[in-house]
Amino acid sequence: MNFFASAALLVAVLVAAPLAAHLLRRRRAEEKRFPAAALVPATPPTARRRSSLEDRFLFSVRALSVIALAVLGATPFVQCNRLSLARQGGASVALAIVLDDSLSMRAKMRDAAGPTRFERAKSGAAELLRGLQNGDAVAIVLAGAPARVLLAASTDLAGVSAAIDSIEPSDRATDLDTALRLGTDLLKGLPQIDKRVVLLSDLADGDPSAAPLAGTNDAALWAPLPEIEARSEPDCAVVRAERAGASVRVRVTCTPVLSVAPMPRASGSASADPAASAAPRSPGDALNTPPGDGPSAGRSVQVRSADRLLRAFPLGPAVRNEEVTLELPQDAPESITVRLTGTDAIAEDDTAPVSALGAKLKVALVVDTAATHIETGGASPVEQALAALALDAETHPLATVPDHAEELTRYGALLVDDAPGFTPEVRRAVASWVEKGGVLLLTLGPKAAAAPLGAGFDPLVPGVVRWGATASPGIDAASFAILGSSATTLEDMAPRGRSSLEAEALQNADILAKWKDGAPFLVRRSLGRGAVLALTLPLTTSESDLAFRPAFLALLDRFVRIARARGGSPRVDAGDAWTFDGAKTVTVFREGASGPASRVKIPVIEADRRMKATPGVAGVYDVAIDGEHEVRVATVPEREIDLRPRPLVQNARDARLGGAAGAVDVSAYVALALLFLATAELAMRARAKVQDARPTET
Amino acid sequence: MEGIAVRSSVFPIEWGALAPLRLRARTIAEGVYAGPHRSVRKGSGVEFGGQRSYVPGDDLRFIDRRSLLRHDKLMVREFETETDRALWLCVDATASMAYKSDAAPGAKYAYAALISAALARVALATGDPVGLGFIGGDGVHPLTASAGREAFDRVVGSLESARAAGDASADPGTVERAVAPIMKKARRGSVIVLLSDLLDLPARARLDLLPLGTGGRTLVVLQVLDPAEVDLTFSGSVRLRSFEGDVVVEADVDEVRAAYKERLAALTAGWTKDIEGRGGRLVRASTKDDATTVTRAVLRAIAEART
Repeated sequence: MNFFASAALLVAVLVAAPLAAHLLRRRRAEEKRFPAAALVPATPPTARRRSSLEDRFLFSVRALSVIALAVLGATPFVQCNRLSLARQGGASVALAIVLDDSLSMRAKMRDAAGPTRFERAKSGAAELLRGLQNGDAVAIVLAGAPARVLLAASTDLAGVSAAIDSIEPSDRATDLDTALRLGTDLLKGLPQIDKRVVLLSDLADGDPSAAPLAGTNDAALWAPLPEIEARSEPDCAVVRAERAGASVRVRVTCTPVLSVAPMPRASGSASADPAASAAPRSPGDALNTPPGDGPSAGRSVQVRSADRLLRAFPLGPAVRNEEVTLELPQDAPESITVRLTGTDAIAEDDTAPVSALGAKLKVALVVDTAATHIETGGASPVEQALAALALDAETHPLATVPDHAEELTRYGALLVDDAPGFTPEVRRAVASWVEKGGVLLLTLGPKAAAAPLGAGFDPLVPGVVRWGATASPGIDAASFAILGSSATTLEDMAPRGRSSLEAEALQNADILAKWKDGAPFLVRRSLGRGAVLALTLPLTTSESDLAFRPAFLALLDRFVRIARARGGSPRVDAGDAWTFDGAKTVTVFREGASGPASRVKIPVIEADRRMKATPGVAGVYDVAIDGEHEVRVATVPEREIDLRPRPLVQNARDARLGGAAGAVDVSAYVALALLFLATAELAMRARAKVQDARPTET
Repeated sequence: MEGIAVRSSVFPIEWGALAPLRLRARTIAEGVYAGPHRSVRKGSGVEFGGQRSYVPGDDLRFIDRRSLLRHDKLMVREFETETDRALWLCVDATASMAYKSDAAPGAKYAYAALISAALARVALATGDPVGLGFIGGDGVHPLTASAGREAFDRVVGSLESARAAGDASADPGTVERAVAPIMKKARRGSVIVLLSDLLDLPARARLDLLPLGTGGRTLVVLQVLDPAEVDLTFSGSVRLRSFEGDVVVEADVDEVRAAYKERLAALTAGWTKDIEGRGGRLVRASTKDDATTVTRAVLRAIAEART
């Protein structure tokens, strides 16, 4: 508040004036008509009683008038604590509101009784909307993975408001890069000069060391709510709880700590995940817990059935990822849950239902270790990458691709690196396996192009594969949206050559990534319930360094996810879709905590000739495919359990873009109130005069 | 009337709960009927009424010669006779009679008019003529004494049409102008009832009013006061302005209430002494008092004054 506003508000001190006037006024005694006045002895003036505060309503009106006058004098310096944007010359604006509906947004802002970050982000979007005017355009993008467009750019502000009201929190991971890119794309072509992407997120996307989030030349990035930014709060989550026979396998993930304390060994058996040691621990990891005293300190995993405690296992003080196997008692009921004791930033992820699931996803690898190996020894780069990713998948290196479909049924995914074509038997076996839900990642290199006569990849990849030098090194990162920000690491890739596909192979296929010259880099072909991912570059280290780039890890992660979804994996991360190819009718319900009455129906949509259902919230789902019911589970994404914020470019919080303390001119309202008060006083005075005059004249 | 800014000396009458005058007066009169009033006047007539000692001035025609011869004493024979005796109502209609406090059912003039109408009803029922006069007032229509069926309506109509007006204190002739016609027309034996608050009257008002009780006339005064005038019901510091005389007094009522009552009692006592000294009676009433009771008290006072 500046000097002028303070000085104007000082006028409010004058409210004491009418108070003093009403209290101290020595008015004449009230005059009354009385016939026998001559008989009444007069009292000396000193005996008159000082008048008390009378006519309180009139006094209130006068006092309020003085206060309103002071406020009116202070406007437009009076500021309203409401999120509003600053316009450039009053021109219309086009906004793409990127609202984060991921799991981390469920964390409370200040205390347990306060609002969650998601609620504040939602209310912030509503406040922002109230400050918009006719001619402004708004698009809404949700940043929970996968990022998606909720509403394309629209000038119908009522519709936008309704869309914002409909947003619900989810347990998804965060995909800020894709969300920002979607937001920017939605603003393209709009006539407004001032275009902004408004980011309402805690910035905790699990990749705190990535490049700072930034806008583009066309659309500035504005993150107006610094109060919802994640602050590396401690949190632990039950990301998976599976029952196998008489034991329960529980996977617990906690936010990172700087140092790891020794694990306690108790009645249960626990094994530290190799990925835990591989978790990034750079000096930049800002944590708010002392070393050795992480979010899991003093907490334990409990297996419960309603109010009955079946088993418990104490966690170490600095758990990052830990898998705990607990033996159940013989009389353990079917319906059991796993719960973490204690409290942390997000309460919703501390409990998970136990699902009766099978083994881990099995990934078969057919890699020529002679051509693709690491000079220092060890497993192939693919195996090491899958192990490092901790995707809860078992890798099974195979010498050759099986030529019997039965041999493939035990695998959910198959990766074949630069195979010299498939024999007809192999093609038939693999195609049959894919149609039943298998996912094949086929890398095509010089060997694939040199397939002997009779060998090939049809119908997996129809047509002939050719190998040749590439004139356009590098991948178009913008076309590789599914990999997020890591796609940029492929932009400067310079392989010795690349494969090319015939047009026949691209029919009914999705090109997921392109080379910079537009040639397909990664193609997805759906075949029955499964899919074939064809990569036009081999993993051979002699041909390219693809296997050593971060995007390769993201590609493998995507591959495993697709395998889980396509193969009808009963467990997916919240936000990943279940695909039901070949099914005629599919219904999906999320089981509620209080029985059938609380079941929530999940919409099943048909896209790309496939039926899909996306569970946004972790929990147990009842899936009915053509009348056959099965239980599936959506779990909390592990990468979401990292509440370290992603950096922002500095100007994303520039006050010139607007803010939560935007100046709002309320002078019109104050003036109206003042006018009303003045009218009220005049009316009261007139009424008093009428009352005084009424009974006298004839 | 409290807190009124006066622009004019003419005041409408707040009849309040005392209206309608005609019906209420009839009701009151029926409550006090005791049969036709029989004349008790002694003088010339047809029925012997007794003897008494001669006093100078007696008609020599009625000297009882037999008694003089037998007892050597001058005696006078008296005879009873039924005569029409007029009832004259003199109603104070000055400005102060328009006063009505919150506790009163109506203005003082309204109360006085009600009692007047009731007395007229009683008198007319016995065949006595009724006359009407006003002290001050606006739109007043004095009536000569008359009897008969329509006399009551004329009295009521005249009472209802009057409005309180006039400052008797500023116009000493107000009372004299009201009394003179009555003095002239009211003969010996007539009854004059004066209804007034006896406030705000000029100093010479007594000289003008008290002769009404002489010459064989009977004067009964009904002092009509408002409850606020009786008890000075105000509280705290007030500024009191009279209706007449432009008297303004600022006082702490709680402090002066006792002194006020003493002054009011002294005023009433003075009037009582003067009136009773001329054979008359004074009845004091508040507008909160039951009108039937007050009317009966007035009739009783009339009877007492004649004995």
